[in-house]
Amino acid sequence: MAGTLRLYLTCIRNTLEAAMCLQNFPCQEVERHNKPEVELKTSSELILNPILICRNEAEKCLIETSINSLRISLKVRQADELENILTKKFLRFLSMRAEAFQVLRRKPVPGYDISFLITNYHCEDMQKSKLIDFIVQFMEDIDKEISELKMSVNTRGRLVAAEFLKQFI
Amino acid sequence: MSAVAVHQFAQCITCHAWSPDHSMIALCPNNSEVHIYRMSEDKWERVHVLQKHDQIVSGIDWSSTSNKIVTVSHDRNSYVWNLEGSDWVPTLVILRLNRAALCAQWSPQENKFAVGSGAKTVCICYYEQENNWWVSKLVRKRHNSSVTSVAWHPNNILLATTSTDGKCRVFSTFIKGVDTRDSKTSSSSDTKFGEQILQLDLSYSWAFGVKWSPSGNTLAYVGHNSMIYFVDDVGPSPLAQNVAFRDLPLRDVLFVSEKVVIGVGFDCIPMVFAADESGIWSFVRFIGETKTPSSAPKYGSQFSEAFGKFYSQSKYGVNNDGTENSRQRGGIHQNCINCILPLKEPGVSMVRRFSTSGLDGKVVIWDLENQDDLFQ
Repeated sequence: MAGTLRLYLTCIRNTLEAAMCLQNFPCQEVERHNKPEVELKTSSELILNPILICRNEAEKCLIETSINSLRISLKVRQADELENILTKKFLRFLSMRAEAFQVLRRKPVPGYDISFLITNYHCEDMQKSKLIDFIVQFMEDIDKEISELKMSVNTRGRLVAAEFLKQFI
Repeated sequence: MSAVAVHQFAQCITCHAWSPDHSMIALCPNNSEVHIYRMSEDKWERVHVLQKHDQIVSGIDWSSTSNKIVTVSHDRNSYVWNLEGSDWVPTLVILRLNRAALCAQWSPQENKFAVGSGAKTVCICYYEQENNWWVSKLVRKRHNSSVTSVAWHPNNILLATTSTDGKCRVFSTFIKGVDTRDSKTSSSSDTKFGEQILQLDLSYSWAFGVKWSPSGNTLAYVGHNSMIYFVDDVGPSPLAQNVAFRDLPLRDVLFVSEKVVIGVGFDCIPMVFAADESGIWSFVRFIGETKTPSSAPKYGSQFSEAFGKFYSQSKYGVNNDGTENSRQRGGIHQNCINCILPLKEPGVSMVRRFSTSGLDGKVVIWDLENQDDLFQ
């Protein structure tokens, strides 16, 4: 299990190293504007082919690059209904505070659970290697967090049920 | 082949240009200003700030004989600055662009300059004495996407451009009244302005950083697909060579001599490419490649790798043990290098020193003193 996680993350890391070659590029469609081309998709020659890295049917990562921006969308493993709810709530909590993360997108790309948008301005302010480390670390932590949340929900449920049923003993 | 001097000027440098005597440097610190620094007693002090543009200045070129600075910006404007007394005075340039300007370069004779733009056009500007401004002629309907880089041929007429549609084109920019028709140049039949001499469709991805060799015989440009293209005998039957390399794409190139090219890009270290006697180009090495400790004992490689991890951990902050870290690229530049310029001594044909500037805000001067093996 851990083996495939390492491979999956290494693959994503290598792809991001190649994809995160961004530069400042003014908009071709509107004068004096500078927009992330991967979001607008107005000029087809400025966008590169998207890459989909799948760990299994449930977990995948879509990396779309353009000349000045990069979008990473993740689909996190959700084994059962409870994990589904926890993931949705947890990631929604993070996305709502996207300004604090700077590279996080407020809404995930349709079909995915969470998305990042990295622009050339982020690459100018922050080191590329640190950005990639952040994304990969995030992916590792998400799994841990969701498992912990699930465990704590189950534990709490058990405790509450035990307390409640004590009165019938 | 080592970095002779490293200067940190700003948080991020978009582009830079040197004065004719290399005592002053003009650079854009990723905003709408141009800062000019002068070297005095081993320290750089800021002597001028040119503030006329509204958006980021994307191209600066300083002419060597006429001492003029041309700046172009994303706000579709361009100015030619002249030193009058102790101030730089801008002259209006009628650029007639409706999108951002991306690059600029003075022609070898400095009577014209070329501007590449996001409007998919190239403007060639020349001076009109009567009105004291610079007027432009546009090369329209040739490019399918933004023009990222321009380079003048030594004959002052031919201009090479690269674009984000992946193609490199060579145009004739003969302007009546500015250029003199030289009977010696053989390409007299193509001397109409805007005539496309050549279109090179070698790259699948965006093309950047085009440069001519000192004689004008060879053209080099890079593609975003980690390839560098060399074209010999530019004319009706060019000879093109593709050199693919393992690392991240390049942004700009420089011809150090007829047979040696330095490329800079996202790898943060300059790369050397050279042509052998038969004219085949290949990647030689990274500049300043620190030798791996070959004198270390047999178990040394694993040990030194682990030691290196430990060392980098303390240098670059806390990293989690579980995750393997991204390779910290380059030692001197910490971020992408996007501009390389020669520091030519007058009278010497080969370039021994050059400067690079990047998104980490550093300008590094490199010297090829110990690299005579490259020049054989």
